[in-house]
Amino acid sequence: MTFLTLDHLQKSFGPTRVVHDFDLGVEKGEFVSFLGPSGCGKTTVLRMVAGFETPTAGRVVIDGRDVTRLRPNQRQIGMVFQSYALFPNLTVAENVGFGLRTAGVPRAERAGRVAEMLALIGLPDLGGRYPWQLSGGQQQRVALARALAPRPRVLLLDEPLSALDAKIRVSLRNQIREIQQQLAITTIFVTHDQEEALSISDRIVVMHKGIADQTGTPAQIYNQPATDFVAGFVGTLNRFEAEVLDPARGLVRVEGAEIALDRPLPAGRITLAARPESLRIAAEGIPAEITGVEFLGSVQRLRARAAGREVVLDRFNEPGVALPQPGAQVRLAAAQAGWLVLPG
Amino acid sequence: MRRVWSWAALIVGGLYFLLPLIGTIEFSLRMRRGEYSLDAYRSVLSDPNFRATFSYSVAMAALTILLGVLIVVPTAYWVRLRLPRLRPVIEFITLLPLVIPAIVVVFGYIRLYNTSSILPLTGTASGTNLLLLCGYATLALPYMYRAVDTGLSTLDVRSLTEAAQSLGAGWARIIVRLILPNVLGAVMSGAFLSFAIVIGEFTMAALLNRPAFGPYMQLLGANRAYEPAALAVIAFAVTWGCMGVMQLISRLFGTRMQAK
Repeated sequence: MTFLTLDHLQKSFGPTRVVHDFDLGVEKGEFVSFLGPSGCGKTTVLRMVAGFETPTAGRVVIDGRDVTRLRPNQRQIGMVFQSYALFPNLTVAENVGFGLRTAGVPRAERAGRVAEMLALIGLPDLGGRYPWQLSGGQQQRVALARALAPRPRVLLLDEPLSALDAKIRVSLRNQIREIQQQLAITTIFVTHDQEEALSISDRIVVMHKGIADQTGTPAQIYNQPATDFVAGFVGTLNRFEAEVLDPARGLVRVEGAEIALDRPLPAGRITLAARPESLRIAAEGIPAEITGVEFLGSVQRLRARAAGREVVLDRFNEPGVALPQPGAQVRLAAAQAGWLVLPG
Repeated sequence: MRRVWSWAALIVGGLYFLLPLIGTIEFSLRMRRGEYSLDAYRSVLSDPNFRATFSYSVAMAALTILLGVLIVVPTAYWVRLRLPRLRPVIEFITLLPLVIPAIVVVFGYIRLYNTSSILPLTGTASGTNLLLLCGYATLALPYMYRAVDTGLSTLDVRSLTEAAQSLGAGWARIIVRLILPNVLGAVMSGAFLSFAIVIGEFTMAALLNRPAFGPYMQLLGANRAYEPAALAVIAFAVTWGCMGVMQLISRLFGTRMQAK
């Protein structure tokens, strides 16, 4: 029994169909990310859950109750916005207490809950400040506390980290995940940043043109992309045109190098792909010429030209091993499991 | 050289504004022959009609501001939130009172609401007061709407509304607790102008035959010599005083949120 069910949601704005046929079940306490480029419909789905948009067709069910026709203020949903959207005329404590006040929680109980929430986000002493006196990261934490204070049934996060700078983004995303796990609150997180989605989600829904391309754990999304779009959008991918020599045994040829994949393949030509960290320089494999070397500290990033395309290899830094020089002729290989066969 | 010209401009402008004022003050002090005195002021302030009409106009001004806020704030908010495409239309409508003379408006009122009409508002004093109030609110509309709309433009109206909705707030709470406090500074500047307009307004009050300050000034001006000058100075001082107080109030609120 799923806690939050999105049942064949569709949304059109005039003649434009933004969300096609969106189906998703979210377990209680689960953290699900909607990942996709801008305009893919992820925010629209979130807004339909919140009640700010009415679905053209389909249902939103929370805890067994159909809320599709309920107004946003009746849905008991907590929402955090990209722009923080703190109320500028209210103090931090008043902001956090706003939802409790609308719910008619008595003053004393409200004060206790507000203090509890401020402690949870690590800003126990800032209750008397106004939003403009806080940094962006602090404001977003207050917004999170405000959304959580009335104990919503579902927490919706609409690109909450996009307006922050890189360092705060990482620490705040970890904090969001910690709080979410601590409260075991069902959460939907919308982002266009794959690293964000991979690092904090239980499951990811990769969206593309109003359709959920793939739903799965971060590892599944990254290691077994179901569509060409997912493969290309999440992470970097090196692609090779391959000719299938033996469909039954999974033997293919790329640029004269034979690769045994050990899985059944369609006959003809296919596209093989490998992540930068799956590729390595080997004695046997696809011939390539190194074109560039970047030293990134823990990782070395090598650029090479193979089969007429740019490829990228990542490998861990090893102090004793010399970096290949640009112009060096090498051969590239990957472990069997490292090769992805792209559909379509 | 530029310095000289800017000083010249300042002096000419200063003379243009200050001379009439100084002249009026000087003249108002000359009631007693051969020496300066405050006799004219004494005479005005002891006139019960002055107190009656002035307090009537102040009360009308306060009600006008209230009515204006009640009409303009929700309208401007709703237009920004839901009907952004209608904004030019609404703006045009709010500017109409600047184009249509007050006398046309008031004659329209009298024709529409006279004693033989369906809604005979002019038949009673309170009905006429209501009519005058509506007329004043119309006159103040352009200033009020502009001010509030500008105030709203500094807010992320949509996000704030959605945040409040997700926290369970309904429309009334959103407008009273969030939108109004955040545009209070703008509302105040609209209120200054409304106040100044209503205090000096003559046409509507005279034609609706209400005991307002404008017609009283006109009456006094037609019949006395020194008192009108004193009255002008008093009206000036009181109006500026009221504006100062409002400015002060909005400052006090303003310090709480100089975020933008």
